[in-house]
Amino acid sequence: MKKLMSGFLKASALAAMAAFAITTGPADAHADCGQVSITEMNWASASVVTNVAKFVMEQGYGCKVTVVPSDTVPAATSLAENGEPDIATEMWINSAPVYQKLEDEGKVKTIANVLSDGGAEHWLIPKYLADKHPELKTIEGVLANPELVGARFHNCPEGWGCRIVNDSLKQAFDLEGNGIKVFDHGSGETLAGSIAAAYADEKPWFGYYWAPTALLGKYEMVPVDLGPYNDEIHQCNRDTDCNRVGKSPYPSARVVTGVTTAFANREPEVVEMLSKLSFTNQQMGAVLAWKEGNNASSEEAAVHFLTTYNDVWGDWLNTDAKLKLARLLK
Amino acid sequence: MGTYEPIFSTLGLQSWCESGETSGGGPVSMADLLARNAGTDAPPPSIWELPFPSMDELHEVCAAFPQSRALTKGIEQGFLSIKDGLSLVLDPITQPLSWFLEGALWLFETTPWWLMIPVLLAIVLAVSRSRKLSVFVGLCLLTLAFIDYYSFAAQTLAVISVCAILCVVLGVPIGIAMARSDRLQRAIIPILDMLQTLPAFVYLIPLIFLFSVTEPKLYGLAIILYAIVPVVRLTDLGIRLVDQNVIEAADAFGMTDRQKLIKVQVPLALPNIMAGVNQTIMMSLSMVVIASLVSAPGLGVLVLRGIRNLELGVGLVSGLGIVVLAVILDRTTKLALARINAGQAP
Repeated sequence: MKKLMSGFLKASALAAMAAFAITTGPADAHADCGQVSITEMNWASASVVTNVAKFVMEQGYGCKVTVVPSDTVPAATSLAENGEPDIATEMWINSAPVYQKLEDEGKVKTIANVLSDGGAEHWLIPKYLADKHPELKTIEGVLANPELVGARFHNCPEGWGCRIVNDSLKQAFDLEGNGIKVFDHGSGETLAGSIAAAYADEKPWFGYYWAPTALLGKYEMVPVDLGPYNDEIHQCNRDTDCNRVGKSPYPSARVVTGVTTAFANREPEVVEMLSKLSFTNQQMGAVLAWKEGNNASSEEAAVHFLTTYNDVWGDWLNTDAKLKLARLLK
Repeated sequence: MGTYEPIFSTLGLQSWCESGETSGGGPVSMADLLARNAGTDAPPPSIWELPFPSMDELHEVCAAFPQSRALTKGIEQGFLSIKDGLSLVLDPITQPLSWFLEGALWLFETTPWWLMIPVLLAIVLAVSRSRKLSVFVGLCLLTLAFIDYYSFAAQTLAVISVCAILCVVLGVPIGIAMARSDRLQRAIIPILDMLQTLPAFVYLIPLIFLFSVTEPKLYGLAIILYAIVPVVRLTDLGIRLVDQNVIEAADAFGMTDRQKLIKVQVPLALPNIMAGVNQTIMMSLSMVVIASLVSAPGLGVLVLRGIRNLELGVGLVSGLGIVVLAVILDRTTKLALARINAGQAP
């Protein structure tokens, strides 16, 4: 108990000191931020976010950063079970219902919309197809002309959040009844591969994908209009136990950075920076397109962001960190 | 940074190097960025930190020298340039595999359970001649059906049976040909070694490029390439192990090569061939989960769901379902093998 108490006192003293440092401007009062763990999700944009955050935390704030390769659901589960990692970034919280629960319980704090425009999930057709057959831009047009989209809907793999919604929507729109076979992909890789293959031969393609991704940066796709958004119907569509499926498109997905409450109390300055760390879809799309074009690694893409957008990330830093990274900011 | 700079200057390649310099824009590594932040060039490294003269390291001092990513890019482009020709040939050859798989899946899915389970039991009984095993298999299948895993298990069985049958149909003749020609054996064994050691994920990549990802043959090929090895090896071995005295006797009777093969060598090699078939079935079952990544239906999909969503129960039950199928297939083929062995005992 005593130990716990003194730990608590120490933490609050540190927090007070940190608060003091903020209010009094540049001062060497803040201690090194110590060990920090951050997730790296297994897709391109998340990897860029993590590498940028890692760089800024290490070079600007003196943290020792451990990167934990992860995915949305495992990261949320690990937060729930172990209170680790400290920072989970690019969480597509729509596909991890457990995250909402953690936030309600006060274990996790959402500090930023890391993709400020939000993620976009759509049923898509390639641009060349939309140009040739404009009627395919609405779901009614697709259902009326299944052969124009190859009579096939490319569905998410089992276990993805979108799979549940798509399975509801395929009933609501009666895809099979209108002559569109639903193909369940085994992994995100084959789903992406099918888009690339269709584009190579300008073949029809119709299915689900999301932005911002390197893939949609490379291949121009047009969303199919599924009608007006209805929250009640969407909530039912994403719930396997709800039978009253209906027609509603995806809402724009919130993509956030979450930190454990313990970390937020321990490192308010880092959290302050992370709360400003966010990308517009246009910025992220440009970085990902550059990465694709130069055959670069995620780390190099992060460096590309850090060297070309220094006016953007300069604003995230506190004065102290700005001083440390002055050479790169000018 | 410039540890290897003298190499290029002494070779007089300075101008060639400079010709490759571009006005920035290329990827910058994190280390370079940190050096830029520090503002100074790092002190010359000690001998302990001497970097290996790799492609990237040499590119550092000589801009015209290609980076290692140029190598992977080159391989990728080389593959893509022959891809069209390759798939023009391979696509029609492998097309029957798609038909078989689609047919088997359709058959297993449309046959009602009350017909399917007795038929399967009859097959088990005919192959193994063991009533005990048939009862065990029946219980396993009914349990799987009872917990609502029947349709997934049936899909897995459909895929496995097509792939295993094709493995035997293709593998046994290859094995026989290998046994009859030392040169062919020398040529094929490295390929078999490679197929067996190459991680399955690695040959999934070219397969995804070569074939449409929505075709069932994609996973069919992945399974067959991996599972065909034991039946080829053991057929080859079995025929080579046939007693030379027996062959001599067959020669003395004036048998032709074909008669010798069909009436003497294959029957005597049958225990080994059957052991190969057993191994082939087991290995194709082990590919079920990986094949699910390229859209194979069945229990593997549920295992993947368990992993992706951390649904521990689903993952474990479907994993156990695969084990149950493995036990059924293994017991049945082992008993068939034992019957053949007993039949050959003097």
